[in-house]
Amino acid sequence: MNPAAASPHPPVVIEVTDLVAHYGAHRVLDGIHMRLYRGEIMVVMGGSGSGKSTLLRHLLGLNRPTAGRIVLLGTDMARAGAREMQDLRKNMGVSFQGGALFNSMTVAENVMLPLREHTSLDERTMAIMARMKLEVVNMGGFDHLMPSQLSGGMVKRVALARAIVMDPKLLFFDEPSAGLDPVVSAELDELILRLRKVMNMSIVVVTHELDSAFKIADRIMVLDEGRVLQTGTVEEIRHSDNERIQDLLERRPRTLEMDADEYLARLTGKG
Amino acid sequence: MQCDVRKEAAFDVVTLKGEVDLSTSPAVRQAILASLEAGAPVAIELGEVTYIDSSGVASLVEGYQTAKSRGLPFTLVGASESVMGVLELARLDKVFPLAATLGELTADGG
Amino acid sequence: MAVEETSGNGIGGAVERLGRATVRGVEEWGYAFALLLETLYWVLAGHFHRQPVRPAAVAARMMTIGVQAVPILAVLTFSIGVMLAIQGIHTLKVFGAESQVVVGIALSVTREFGPMITGVLVAGRSGSALTAEIGTKQISQEIDALRVMGINPLRYLVAPALLAMLVMVPALTILADLMGLLGGAVYTALAMDLSIHAYLDRTAAILQWDDVRQGLVKSVVFAIIITLVAVTNGFAVEGGAEGVGRATTRAVVLSIAYIVVADMLFTFFLTR
Repeated sequence: MNPAAASPHPPVVIEVTDLVAHYGAHRVLDGIHMRLYRGEIMVVMGGSGSGKSTLLRHLLGLNRPTAGRIVLLGTDMARAGAREMQDLRKNMGVSFQGGALFNSMTVAENVMLPLREHTSLDERTMAIMARMKLEVVNMGGFDHLMPSQLSGGMVKRVALARAIVMDPKLLFFDEPSAGLDPVVSAELDELILRLRKVMNMSIVVVTHELDSAFKIADRIMVLDEGRVLQTGTVEEIRHSDNERIQDLLERRPRTLEMDADEYLARLTGKG
Repeated sequence: MQCDVRKEAAFDVVTLKGEVDLSTSPAVRQAILASLEAGAPVAIELGEVTYIDSSGVASLVEGYQTAKSRGLPFTLVGASESVMGVLELARLDKVFPLAATLGELTADGG
Repeated sequence: MAVEETSGNGIGGAVERLGRATVRGVEEWGYAFALLLETLYWVLAGHFHRQPVRPAAVAARMMTIGVQAVPILAVLTFSIGVMLAIQGIHTLKVFGAESQVVVGIALSVTREFGPMITGVLVAGRSGSALTAEIGTKQISQEIDALRVMGINPLRYLVAPALLAMLVMVPALTILADLMGLLGGAVYTALAMDLSIHAYLDRTAAILQWDDVRQGLVKSVVFAIIITLVAVTNGFAVEGGAEGVGRATTRAVVLSIAYIVVADMLFTFFLTR
């Protein structure tokens, strides 16, 4: 583990120990260790199939690991009871890759949903909170539109507004810049930095966009084939002597080790 | 959290202390709206607020809007840097009338 | 994956496939049953978890499942009543017992056709819609979004649908019974020398509460079948929009098949 620059450390908000996960018989995560400190932004990077989406699903408690421990905000996900999980969920916000907005609800109703379900605030307070968060993501005045009327970048921003409406301590952001034009994705990067600064949120961003990762990350964790290649600051990752990381940074196709016999067997289908 | 209302000069001074969050903001909202209902100008002392979440800010927003529609003054007093940060996030720092101290406010009022 | 596919040759392969299919089938039934129990749990204990099932959501479902199905169901069952009258009079003429058509229609409509037609119609209209809705939410990560927000999808999506089905399928069945009987009455009145009024009077004299109840018990079971098949297939959707289409088709076919088989079993045990 690579400690962040400042010490003593702020409290740990995510502690992942020796996480192993399978998809069917296939091992997709293998011995993952991860630690996130309060107020830190960590970017999880890796190509497709590296296991970064699977790691996120485990952090969110959507999948159960084969082995290992995941502790979020002091709650051990495997041991937590229903009530504890519920309390934990109120303290975390998630912005999904495609936004995952509810199509039958307006933008405002989408953002208000967590408040409706978890608080007994006055209707007007909830409406103001939702509009405030929409202002934060520069979507003010769009509250009566339906998700189908929004562009991709707008959907992502509304999803972010919904993720932060409860003022979570932990924010997860899946592929913030995927499919967005550079200006919009730069805006989202700024927004992530501002949320950390003002709300002192701890943020995990899963992305394969290098520019965005280098801009927002305190530390970067690089995954490859279900393993952590390296976790380090932006500088450490930039100057890593790990070959796969350099491949990733320079967008080189990966060099596969080849076993001639095995390759032949694969081509002829006689294994 | 603590939420006390007292009379000072013409103002109803609502003093908040500690953490204003989802569980405590409804009380703040009640206090503010009650004072405005009674026709009093309102000052909110935020000097000892350690944390305010969006439900707290939303209550302030609703209070200010209500005050405006009734033509009553509504001022935030002594907002700390962290409170200002939360207000700035939604660009509300440019919306609310702000005062550094209560003295400043009551002197202005005459 | 490749290994599984290539081993599926010959008798061994056939047995293996059968075994796998059986395991899958049992799994699916078990899953559906667990889902039913958990959904009912949320209906009863939701308040305790501060996750009550919202009456507004149930009402909205009742509108789409029940109220909006009224016109088409009325037309369908009226037609069936007419059809039964035509066939009944035609067949009974052989024995010179045309007047007994009233008995035949009264019993077959309330015991069989009312609940069955309603079940099939609701499966086609609302079961498929439910599968498509849940399937779409599944692939667009809306289900995941609900879960990470701490909103149980069974409580939020399934429980209102189940409650609405449990109320509306029997309610529609009553409507179906009435419209079927009316259809029979109208045709019989035209074809034979019997007024609609007299026809309905005779029907009322023939029908026992038990006949209607039999239909209603069936309709409750159909409601559960339709909901569970729709929901399990919706949650199982994989592979984009195509997957949603496949699941929807499968849900409709399966629930109609289950409805017909369940109906047969019921009839067998209840009319003995």
